[in-house]
Amino acid sequence: MRTPISYFLIVSAMLFAIGTVGVLVRRNALIIFMSVELQLNAVNLALVAFSRMHEDLSGQVLAFFSMVVAAAEVVVGLAIIVNVYRRRQSVSVDDASVLRG
Amino acid sequence: MPLDHVVFWVFAPVSVGSAIAMLLQRNAVHAALFLIVNFFTISVFYLVLGASFLFAVQIIVYAGAIMVLFLFVIMLLGVDRHESLVERLRGQRTLAIALGVAIALELFLAIRAGVGFATKAPPGFDEAVNRGGNAAALARVLFRDYFFPFEVTSILLIVAAVAVVVLASRRRRAITRAGSEAAAAGAEEAA
Amino acid sequence: MLDLVWLIPALPLAGAAANLFLGRRLGKAAGWLATALVGLAFALAVGVLLDLLTLPGEERAHAVRLFGWIASGAFSVDATLRVDPLSITMTLVVTGVGALIHWYAVGYMAHDPRVERFFAELNLFVFFMLMLVLADNFLVLYLGWEGVGLCSYLLIGFWCQRPAAASAAKKAFVTTRIGDAAMLLGIVLLWIHAGSLDFDVVLGESAGGLTRGAATAISLLLLAGAVGKSAQVPLHVWLPDAMEGPTPVSALIHAATMVTAGVYLVVRAHVLFEASGVALTVVLVVGLVSALYAALASIGQWDIKRALAYSTMSQIGFMFFAAGMRFYAGAMLLLVSHAFYKALMFLTSGNVMHGLDEETDLRRMGGLRERMPVSATWFAIGALSLAGIPPLAGFFAKDHIVAFASESGREVAWVLASIGAFLSALYIARPLFLAFFGARRNPAAAHEAPWGMHGPLAVLAAGSVLAGAVLGLAAEGGLLDRFLEPVTGVVEVGHGALSGAALIAISVALAVLAVATAWWVWASGRVDWEAFPQRQPELAGWLANAFYVNALYAWLVRAPGAGVGRVLTTVDDRVIDGAVNEVAQDVGRASRLAPLVQSGFVRSYGLAFLLGAAALLLFLGMRF
Repeated sequence: MRTPISYFLIVSAMLFAIGTVGVLVRRNALIIFMSVELQLNAVNLALVAFSRMHEDLSGQVLAFFSMVVAAAEVVVGLAIIVNVYRRRQSVSVDDASVLRG
Repeated sequence: MPLDHVVFWVFAPVSVGSAIAMLLQRNAVHAALFLIVNFFTISVFYLVLGASFLFAVQIIVYAGAIMVLFLFVIMLLGVDRHESLVERLRGQRTLAIALGVAIALELFLAIRAGVGFATKAPPGFDEAVNRGGNAAALARVLFRDYFFPFEVTSILLIVAAVAVVVLASRRRRAITRAGSEAAAAGAEEAA
Repeated sequence: MLDLVWLIPALPLAGAAANLFLGRRLGKAAGWLATALVGLAFALAVGVLLDLLTLPGEERAHAVRLFGWIASGAFSVDATLRVDPLSITMTLVVTGVGALIHWYAVGYMAHDPRVERFFAELNLFVFFMLMLVLADNFLVLYLGWEGVGLCSYLLIGFWCQRPAAASAAKKAFVTTRIGDAAMLLGIVLLWIHAGSLDFDVVLGESAGGLTRGAATAISLLLLAGAVGKSAQVPLHVWLPDAMEGPTPVSALIHAATMVTAGVYLVVRAHVLFEASGVALTVVLVVGLVSALYAALASIGQWDIKRALAYSTMSQIGFMFFAAGMRFYAGAMLLLVSHAFYKALMFLTSGNVMHGLDEETDLRRMGGLRERMPVSATWFAIGALSLAGIPPLAGFFAKDHIVAFASESGREVAWVLASIGAFLSALYIARPLFLAFFGARRNPAAAHEAPWGMHGPLAVLAAGSVLAGAVLGLAAEGGLLDRFLEPVTGVVEVGHGALSGAALIAISVALAVLAVATAWWVWASGRVDWEAFPQRQPELAGWLANAFYVNALYAWLVRAPGAGVGRVLTTVDDRVIDGAVNEVAQDVGRASRLAPLVQSGFVRSYGLAFLLGAAALLLFLGMRF
């Protein structure tokens, strides 16, 4: 492979940044969640890129674990969102502002 | 032009573009679909980087299970309604975009300082590391050096499944069934 | 006996303590105890006098050191008493007249619920007055000075529920305070320049080694104190108001003793005044001005006690006048005589007030000699004595002074003093005739005072008659003059334009003319004096209001003072309180603003997190 590793890292960085903006700008809880998944994926990409660069498979293993945990987290997170929806009839995070000062 | 260059320069814009598109969609289902596209591009990157196992796992788990779960919930709750574009928090959008740009820039600088823009990957990856194929090599590392974490993650998945059942359970059995079915499907797919 | 002189002030002090703590249980005996103690003090004073007389003239100055009072670095003052002709004279007056007034007050204050407190305060006053006159240094004198001021305040405001009395007490205290503060400055200056406050050192031949300028400054400051305490112009405004106090108080404090403390001070410190020269002239002028001013004011007063108060002021003016001419013995003779006849007149007016149910307005008296013949006699004796009708005491005292003015070459002063003497006779005959003669304007029964209360009055009357003759007879310095010589120095009697006989003749003529005029205007019924205020409202107003000095002071002091007070109150409210309130409000505002951070919006919180994370990232990036 003759593409410089940094290119992948730059793509990873950009995806991470986009994910961050998504978390902050969108109101729909599900879309926020999806942005978080995007961030996780960006990080996974970086991990694999570094693994290639350092010729160490630990990076890939870590990315693998990250995927497992992300799956578990998505499952629980969606259950929570469903619960909240049942109570509030809304998935807008702006509506969950009861703890205001 | 080498193949990986072509692949990279085709899929990188698609990746970033689909991510941005996901951000801009007002319909949640459309956003989920764009994210799936993004996941596909990432899996291609994995392939190019020599992680063929992860390439497969990414598609199967992320695009195939997690996103499907998302779509289930979106459609179940019926929240694919169009979200209003009006931002109620003053300065949130501006600041968020600024923040995003800032983070990206900082990371670029970090990359340049740490790795350097021109560094290429060492060439002997397939022979030296991926001996017997990426899956075999990964299995060797995973089941020897990282065996304990591996077992822990299995416990994690069981805990997640239990948690979902508890969280989603309700007296009204009709909705419960759908919630736990979706949770069970996700748990099985992930493991 | 000389060394026991400390007992003289100690006895009334014991009386004050006894009445203060055991007064309730003593009951009626409180007054008798107080009187007895002062009487005993008088007896002791007589004993001390006799002892003093055994000493040759020049050595008649004995100091009795009681204890070391203040010893602080270079400054040390002892509590020392001095027995010399001047101090023993004053002591005899204070204890003698004081005892008589205490005796009278037993009857006068018999029905008052707080009588034991009255006698405690009266005894305390006598104690302080004695400390004042027996002091051997300026600090002990100042102790007594302040103490009598305190007791004066307490006694003027004795009927404290009456707002007029409380106000008068406050006015007296504040006005004399001005003088007292100046006096304290004078004492401090004296210490600075002379290094000592002892009379032996400071009032000796060399006047403590003071320069002329220092002596002038000190004398004038001491004079300010004297002017305040003796109610001379311009610090006189408190004395007429002080008549709100019980009549025995007016008699003792504001006629016989405290107000004469200023005269005593000037006579005692005459060495300083003489070293200055200018100061002595100021004393003379102050005395003369006060004498004339008060005489005119007295004529316009309708309240009998206020008329007597202005009369006191005028008489003390004469005393200052005499001191200003270096005729200290003359001033002292007048002081002694005045103590007798003024106390007599005040106490008699107390009888009148008792008989007429506390009436003090002269317009509602008249023709009382038929119903109160004894009191009328007493008052007449006192009045004629003051007027200067020979051979009563006042004649010797006052006319000596007036004549001295001419004899010492001060012709203008003599003319003014003679006018003053004429006015004195006029103003004192006026209440005599208005109250006791003429038509009966008050329908009340007006019973005479009980016999017990006439005892002290009789003694005072005797003094008013005889004191002058006994003490002042002889043209070349009488008994008192020669007695006081060691202290005051020899009186230089010069010769003016007129001979001694001519001067006496003029004085007597003026006195008789004044009394006759007074009789004609106020008693004969031929002059419609009641209509005077309507016919001449302006003139009547000027006289009755004592030339509106009170109004002037109110305008000068009260209004700006109130203004300053308002400014300070505003500063206190707006600036000081405002600052505090502002801080409190700021805290409130901050605490209202703080919760706004907790908007409840997860996205805001997230933004905050990530901003922090970005900053941290930046920081780490910078470091590496």
